[in-house]
Amino acid sequence: MKIANLEQLKEIKARGLRLTYPDKIKIMVGMATCGISAGADKVYAALSQRIAELGLDVVLTKTGCIGFCQREPLVDVIYPKQVRLTYQAMTSESATALVDALKEGRIYESQTLCRIDQEDFLVEGVVRPYANPHPPELPPEFPRYEDLPFFSKQVKISLRNCGFINPESIEEYIARGGYQALCKAVAEMTPEAVIAEVKASGLRGRGGAGFPTGLKWEFCRNAPGELKYVICNADEGDPGAFMDRGILEGDPHAVVEGMAIGAYAMGAREGYVYCRAEYPLAIDHLKTAISQAEGLGLLGEKIFGSDFSFTLKIREGAGAFVCGEETALIASIEGRVGEPRPRPPFPAQSGLWGKPTTINNVKTWSHIAPIVARGADWYASFGSGNSKGTTVFSLVGKVNNSGLVEVPLGITLREMIYDLGGGIIGDRAIKAVQTGGPSGGCIPEEFLDTPVDYDSLAALGSIMGSGGMIVMDEKDCMVDIAKYFLDFTRDESCGKCTPCREGTLRLMEMLEAITEGRGQEGDIDKLIKMSGLIKKTSLCGLGATAPNPVLTTIKYFRDEYEAHIRDHKCPAKVCKPLITFRVLEDKCNGCQLCRLRCPVEAVLGTKKEPHQIIQEKCIKCGACYDGCKFDAVVVD
Amino acid sequence: MPEEAARARTTYAEVTDEDAVAGIIATYRDEPGNLLPVMLDINRHFNWLPRPALEHISDELKVPLTEILRVASFYNAFSLTPRGKNIINVCLGTGCFVKGSPRLLERLERKLGIRHGETTEDMAFTLEVVRCIGCCALAPAIRVGEATYGRVNPDQVSKIIDSYIETASL
Repeated sequence: MKIANLEQLKEIKARGLRLTYPDKIKIMVGMATCGISAGADKVYAALSQRIAELGLDVVLTKTGCIGFCQREPLVDVIYPKQVRLTYQAMTSESATALVDALKEGRIYESQTLCRIDQEDFLVEGVVRPYANPHPPELPPEFPRYEDLPFFSKQVKISLRNCGFINPESIEEYIARGGYQALCKAVAEMTPEAVIAEVKASGLRGRGGAGFPTGLKWEFCRNAPGELKYVICNADEGDPGAFMDRGILEGDPHAVVEGMAIGAYAMGAREGYVYCRAEYPLAIDHLKTAISQAEGLGLLGEKIFGSDFSFTLKIREGAGAFVCGEETALIASIEGRVGEPRPRPPFPAQSGLWGKPTTINNVKTWSHIAPIVARGADWYASFGSGNSKGTTVFSLVGKVNNSGLVEVPLGITLREMIYDLGGGIIGDRAIKAVQTGGPSGGCIPEEFLDTPVDYDSLAALGSIMGSGGMIVMDEKDCMVDIAKYFLDFTRDESCGKCTPCREGTLRLMEMLEAITEGRGQEGDIDKLIKMSGLIKKTSLCGLGATAPNPVLTTIKYFRDEYEAHIRDHKCPAKVCKPLITFRVLEDKCNGCQLCRLRCPVEAVLGTKKEPHQIIQEKCIKCGACYDGCKFDAVVVD
Repeated sequence: MPEEAARARTTYAEVTDEDAVAGIIATYRDEPGNLLPVMLDINRHFNWLPRPALEHISDELKVPLTEILRVASFYNAFSLTPRGKNIINVCLGTGCFVKGSPRLLERLERKLGIRHGETTEDMAFTLEVVRCIGCCALAPAIRVGEATYGRVNPDQVSKIIDSYIETASL
């Protein structure tokens, strides 16, 4: 059927609610890429097999990532009219035990991460309890979802449905208020009113640059021309970032609906999602979402019985970081080499095939439906100053709780790392937090009380970026990190403009020399000078921001550079040419493990006698160090 | 150049290859900007871009071969040399990098006796690095074919590879 009005949408919603909250036990397995890589597919298979064996009448389904990737594989069980429990670190064995407990009519009480008593239907602004009153028989030590530090400071707008619905079911998306905003926009609002709402919300581009979204839309709407395009940038190329993957895998309709609203506002009839090929599952879910939306008439001709028509296509990226830059992305959709071009003209004037085009990031699009449904004032009540609303970060690296988190802008880095992230692994000292990927910088511990917003991070020489937040500890060498990012940008520079092509290469050569002990006095100043030149003269954002990792590490960790150059030492003991492995004779009991682990026979020694490492043969792979159970192998 | 001469392509390895390529081109023929989707599908079908296929695209889509080769060498996804049956991607995203993925790469290089970017002689494995597969919270991660492995430690590498060798010899 084709949905022509709100009543018909509500019919689907009723169906969706029955699917989402059946009157029998429902088991959901987090099956995003992160879940699968932790073994969720095996857990799903084990659940499915045991359910069949016992002939149990329950619903088994898949869901997206609720964000707590650290504890994957996650399984949720909704005990009807009682509670929803989230189970962590599940295995095939515990999956079988879970089904056995259900068969006996018990609540499975092991491996609980938290209990969820109610959930928010964000778009509608209502709360749906799982149980009322709460089941008294549950042990009090089961923490509530909203009391877990990882979740308590989060406000989920982009991630509103991730981990709560089956991403391959449009009915479940509609059940939680999906497509109501599109209906409202098309049926009750003029395109200008939609743009005014987005402008008033203060939403800024979540791809990293932070350009006001409503203003961008207005430029495109006002650009002359009948044919216009909207594009979703899902070419999430920043290493260490997976927010877009999480959203597309867990709630693809949020992006589809946002784009349809944007197309209506700007007068576009066609749109593209440009998604990197490295995300096969995201592409798969997006394809399903688009065909489902077409099936219900939410994409296609005469949407909600109006004159508005919109079709959406997917284009796969082919692995080029520079294609995240909007003009390069457009060139890539046109089937050409993804090289950026000078702006102006901006895409809003002349974009895809020379037509006015608006490109927004996955996260930006996913904010649109809630803004239209709940209003600009509601959205702007989150966040601070010039940075309104929420944004999604991938909090990874050396933190205890890594995962996908959505927080109101203005939260401090310290809250992110120590409250949500649960502190540093092994209680080691934090050294830096890296934001903004290869375009961003490393922020040292002394600035951890900085609020996370566009302006504050820029003031520190980093950028907010698309949302990668990588925490580093004392075992990370900052010169090595700078080299890592330069290796990346040098590799990904498209080569069109000289400052970026040659400049990143020269920076990389200098950093290589420093990490190999060939650095010279004056190198730091040369790095700074070269960086300034590249920033000023590069054609696009890739080159203009590529030196940021170098500049921030020099600014905040100059002593590490100096140690490499002057003392030929790597304080973090990372840079291979500057370190040596040796065995402490008094600690070595001759267990021979290191000798057996060494791939190049560089360890000598007989059983029960202290061993020694032949430095000429040692390739510094660290296998002896990792393997030693007596801390007898040390790095100098 | 007469049409006949232009069509005298280098030959495909298998007779069915030409049909496969023709089929892929037909799928996207009417799409604007279809070069990339066509090349991606061909790259997926063969695991690389064989020369006859590129000449085939050039003929059919009327795109100069030089432009096709430029696109093929620009994007990381494309390979102009044959790749192995199993493509191993070691993630070098920042999350994996700080959690030790370079050491996984070293182990794999030693285990397979090749450097990254190379293919084993028996064409069983190609070892590549990838800049983030989005599994940062389960770092370090590697992908073999379509299977993703999270939280891999260097000692597990051998076992993972062996499981593919066994499958291959069955």
